[in-house]
Amino acid sequence: MKKNNITVENISDPSIQMADIKPEDLMPLPYPYDTPDAQPPLKKLTDEQKEKYESDLDGFLALKLPKPETKEEEEQLVRQFLGGLKKLLSKENNWTFLMPLLMSLEYCAKCQTCNDACPVYISSGKKEIYRPTYRSEVLRRIVNKYLKRGGRAFAKFTGNEIDLNWKTIARLAELSYRCTVCRRCTQTCPIGVDNALITHELRKLFSQEMGIAPEELHEKGSVQQLEKGSSTGMIKQAFTDIIEFIEEEIEEKTGKKIKIPIDKKGADILLIHNAGEFLSWPENPGAFAIIFEEAGLNWTFSSEIAGYDGVNYGVWYDDAQLARVAVQHVKAAKELGVKKIVVGECGHAHKALMVIADRVLNEDLNIPRESCLPLLADIVVNEKIKLDPQKNNFPVTLHDPCNMVRLMGIVEPQRKILRKIAPQFREMSQQGVTNYCCGGGSGFAIMSSLNMPDWRITVSGRMKFKQILETFQDVIDPDIRKMVCAPCSNCKGSIRDIFEYYDAWEKTGIAYTGLADLIVNAMVDIKGPFIEWPDEM
Amino acid sequence: MCGISWVQILSYLTFVIFAVGIASKVIKIYALPIHLRWELYPIPHEKAFSYGGSYFEEVDWWKRPREKNFLNFVKFLFIEILFVRVLYHNNRKMWHLSFPLHFGLYMVIGWLVLLFLAALLLALGLSNENGFILFLQGLATVLGVVGFVLAAVGCVGLIIRRATAEELQGYTAPIDYFNLIFILAVVVSGFIVWLFPDPHFLTTRGYIKSLITFSDAGPLGPGITLHITLFSLFIIYLPFTHMSHFVMKYFLWDKVLFEDDPNVRGGAVESRVAKVLNYKQTWSAPHMHAGGTWSETASRGVGNEEK
Repeated sequence: MKKNNITVENISDPSIQMADIKPEDLMPLPYPYDTPDAQPPLKKLTDEQKEKYESDLDGFLALKLPKPETKEEEEQLVRQFLGGLKKLLSKENNWTFLMPLLMSLEYCAKCQTCNDACPVYISSGKKEIYRPTYRSEVLRRIVNKYLKRGGRAFAKFTGNEIDLNWKTIARLAELSYRCTVCRRCTQTCPIGVDNALITHELRKLFSQEMGIAPEELHEKGSVQQLEKGSSTGMIKQAFTDIIEFIEEEIEEKTGKKIKIPIDKKGADILLIHNAGEFLSWPENPGAFAIIFEEAGLNWTFSSEIAGYDGVNYGVWYDDAQLARVAVQHVKAAKELGVKKIVVGECGHAHKALMVIADRVLNEDLNIPRESCLPLLADIVVNEKIKLDPQKNNFPVTLHDPCNMVRLMGIVEPQRKILRKIAPQFREMSQQGVTNYCCGGGSGFAIMSSLNMPDWRITVSGRMKFKQILETFQDVIDPDIRKMVCAPCSNCKGSIRDIFEYYDAWEKTGIAYTGLADLIVNAMVDIKGPFIEWPDEM
Repeated sequence: MCGISWVQILSYLTFVIFAVGIASKVIKIYALPIHLRWELYPIPHEKAFSYGGSYFEEVDWWKRPREKNFLNFVKFLFIEILFVRVLYHNNRKMWHLSFPLHFGLYMVIGWLVLLFLAALLLALGLSNENGFILFLQGLATVLGVVGFVLAAVGCVGLIIRRATAEELQGYTAPIDYFNLIFILAVVVSGFIVWLFPDPHFLTTRGYIKSLITFSDAGPLGPGITLHITLFSLFIIYLPFTHMSHFVMKYFLWDKVLFEDDPNVRGGAVESRVAKVLNYKQTWSAPHMHAGGTWSETASRGVGNEEK
């Protein structure tokens, strides 16, 4: 049943807020969150924030767009948007995604088959503006009405009725940050139309033409990475200090004295992690160091600009930033003369460096790049290190990061590992290439301004939380410790925030960790457990 | 040529416009520059298609020979096109209507092909009483009649569904109803032709033969004339609408969702990428530095003053 009467045309109506997220409308969660009081209230914007920023899409803010002060300013912004849209449809400015974009704009049959595949739409209680087709239809109508010959004359007959004003643009910009670009919708399209791609292209238009992007992705993200070396702001000295800290931690926890190689010329492998791991979960890079050393690999970290931070936020919003960061990654590898780059447990770094930037890194920049997962699987399955699965004898499930699985087809290596090291490994109901996003995809995991985290946790992350709870329903007693293995830094961050918000450890006994951490936890010759449960920290 | 009627001229024009319309669409697609990879798994030509795996699952994947299972791709495409499998799995309500429409239209295409074949054989000298001609004619009649009925049922069902289902109403335009009614008119007129003036489609076959031999078609009657006219106008209209997805669907899959060719040094992808990296971009945001090539844009660092 339809929950509201919002239409595509309403996007230009300044008199309404288009959606209101109420706890009672959200998709129900399983036990022990199946009572109304289990859902904490969502944080609201203050009157001052509402006054200052364009917030009447749904009352949440990813962009913090200031309101134009004059009518002329509004008109100028509309002209700028249309100019950008023309560039988005030109081969010189947008060769990068022109073919997929044109075909997705042209051939949607509007059958709405994709709706039920979208975790955001379903979790929100089916809010109209979150339909995968909604923002695509807005853009399609603008293109058809304002850029095509005769578009205005036949707009009503051809279904392209829409008004283009500043309100339309401001809401469309904000709406482009209500999709995790997980592309589950595309899998279900009988024609192959890609609404997530349209979201991606909208973000690019706003960033590349109008300079509009979330500050966590641009100023504090890719710009900072290119200037300082990491989107976290971590400079070279801080990185080397953290490596020393990790070496000490390894010795303390495992009794192993390991010298982690940095800037080792001629190593076979340059290992690049998401820098968030070094700051939030240093045990994960530590686990990699233990495994690689134990397996006798000739590897190194880099301390050069971007060489120690594998993230590439450009992949979510800006082709130029994507290319610049990717080039820096490869230059760090070239400098060291390594044979290949191995990407650590970070989904978007995988996709950015191995898939999307593959057609940017030409000739001498084309250094082989591979995922850490097959390499780890090779070490574990071929018993290059000694493992005792009984050390991981607790229920474990696997979260499939969209970027590695649905968008890269890396499905089995992580499962081969878990089947070998976790006797109580169990799959989630939707797994492999049909998995659900953690809710933090496309940059949401690091977007933390104002009340955006509440939206991420309760709406975009809701389906993942539901899935995890359902997977462990038979052992949901908090006294039974259980683990979600999430081999992706951003996914871990998103899952961490969901668990904290809902007190998941206290109420269900569910914790999360990375894959390398579980492998080391199962190693025979380490003195104590490598994994720390939340009550042991 | 003096015996050529306006209906025949329309039919020839239909063939030419349809062929040119579809060809120009395909040529436009091929003329587009190479794009960044944006594949989506499972990919049918991958050897691990059964669970959605890819060559990225291998250590040192670039050292291994690339294995593409073309047959699997064809099989996938065949089943998808014929049975609309993705819709069947994800939107059964819609499939119950969309499948009869599409399958009905395929049968109508089959009807036309068989009639054309029979007409061609007759033009080449086979007799009306030839067993193979009779077989073709019988099969064509079955395909045609069943096809007309299925497509009509699908059309009516989709019109009703689009008008009544809440999730479709706001996204259905007058043109969508027009398209469905247009198809309905074509197939219903075909059915009426079978029902009354041409129960074995012999006149229709004779008409096709006249097109092949550029000869006088003889009297057709108002029913057949109406059907041929509607059919022709629809075929002329088709390439210029989103209904041309029946061809473009292939490109969306093969050139985008299943396109996982890696950029190998010295390979075809590399030279196509080299070309597009020299395109000049004119994006206006300060950090883009409009006017440079993409290659220059990519190799440029960003300082504070350029944010």
